[in-house]
Amino acid sequence: MSGRLDAIPGLAPLIAFIALLIAWEATARAIGIEGLPPASQALVQVPAILGDPESLLNIAASLRRMAIGFALALCFAIPVGLTMGRSRRIAAFFNPLLMVIYPVPKAALMPIIMLWLGVGDASKTLVIFLGVTLPIIYHSYQGSRAVEEKILWSAAAMGMGPLARLTRIVLPAALPEILVGCRTGLVLALITMVTSEMIARQTGVGNILFNSLDMAQYDTVYAMILIIGGLGYALDFAFERLHRRLVGWAAPAYDIVVGTT
Amino acid sequence: MNGRALLVGDVLIGLVPIVLIIALWQALAASGVAPPALLPAPMAVFRRLIEQLGSLTYLQHAATTLFRLFAGFGMAVAIGVVLGAAATGSRAMKAGLMPLVRVLAPVPKVALYPAFILTLGFDNASKIALVVADAVFPILLATYQGTSAVEPKLAWAAQAVGVSRLRCLFTVVLPAALPSVLTGCRIGLVISCIVVFLAEMITSTDGLGHLLVRAARNFQTVDMFVPLITISLLGLLLNAGFNALRRRLLTGFPEED
Repeated sequence: MSGRLDAIPGLAPLIAFIALLIAWEATARAIGIEGLPPASQALVQVPAILGDPESLLNIAASLRRMAIGFALALCFAIPVGLTMGRSRRIAAFFNPLLMVIYPVPKAALMPIIMLWLGVGDASKTLVIFLGVTLPIIYHSYQGSRAVEEKILWSAAAMGMGPLARLTRIVLPAALPEILVGCRTGLVLALITMVTSEMIARQTGVGNILFNSLDMAQYDTVYAMILIIGGLGYALDFAFERLHRRLVGWAAPAYDIVVGTT
Repeated sequence: MNGRALLVGDVLIGLVPIVLIIALWQALAASGVAPPALLPAPMAVFRRLIEQLGSLTYLQHAATTLFRLFAGFGMAVAIGVVLGAAATGSRAMKAGLMPLVRVLAPVPKVALYPAFILTLGFDNASKIALVVADAVFPILLATYQGTSAVEPKLAWAAQAVGVSRLRCLFTVVLPAALPSVLTGCRIGLVISCIVVFLAEMITSTDGLGHLLVRAARNFQTVDMFVPLITISLLGLLLNAGFNALRRRLLTGFPEED
């Protein structure tokens, strides 16, 4: 993006967001169907939802599951990905399995996992974990594979053990690529979170969203969409800040990342 | 070096975890630790899958899913490629489009599904719209990145000999950006496959996703696995088919992952 819009970071997306709201308002007024209330009506509902303790508990429950699932995925996927990148054997061991798992809709596993673990937190957290793991493994693998061999040789020559080489050389060197995976994973975590709550309605933002749809509270439906969208944007924004702090030294390899279940 | 033997070795190693998982599944089911109502034996699932693939109603459900998938994916390709190329071609387009993409791309699109249901109805249209919303962004961004990475001298050379801007786009810029565009399309295709299934699971009266939910409501565990396996196989097949198409279209381009 060029010119004045760049002067204040976040201004261009803000203008885009306002333009979207105006377009929505205009369309809603022009069509005038019950299923599409004007943006202003939905916006009014947002503070009402955010001020309601029960909805806040639901949102907190969703975020907690997402955080746990994401953290577990990090603990599992990064070591797997890094070792895959350093050993051709291990890569050959895991790659076909990952290829087979890749097109499986993870959130669609929800009904089956619910049979085993019930409708509670455990199954939703597991689904989020499954959804997030794959991109993080993939990017950790790519990052670790690209590490310069010579650095590892010299470290080995100076007596550094294999584990120390992995944590002190491969991990930092692969970090920019790992973070790309984490960003995709974050988007995926949010998607699987909402979807799992739509399928097993008990608590959470997906639950509020679909219950208000069933009860024909259309303002609330659209307000929840705005809140979930805002959540996605805020998480992405926060992650970008963290990314700049952690690997500001590496050239940004991407601008916008998209992902899905 | 014996590269071929190495390759065969790799394939064999890769089969190990898959075989192990199926063996573990079989062992769990056979030992009675997991009752069939919770975890049916792999053979029972496999047999049911074969049986279903021969049944006309099942194939009709699959066809409904495929129709929604391709309708959504086709529209996503058309919109994504046009907008992506336009963002490269015109500064004004880019200034208008990219902030919108920035705002919309990180939004979980499933959350938009209720809005699509309310405005487009419970039928095909809302599901196709969700597929488009999900698949369009990777295609758009890949097209934008691909076309903006094309050597500008190529386009200048074409324009210098009197080729119009539009023709230059179709004969020079897009073909040069093809590898990137096709990568975006492949990601979009797998995404479409997943999303159409999820949409059918959330609200539907037909399609593979609906079959999974119906089986779940009736506690027919075997029938829950079958649509899930079918959609995953479809994803794998489409991905492989697209890769083959990509290799054909890209003969002569330098190889990339």
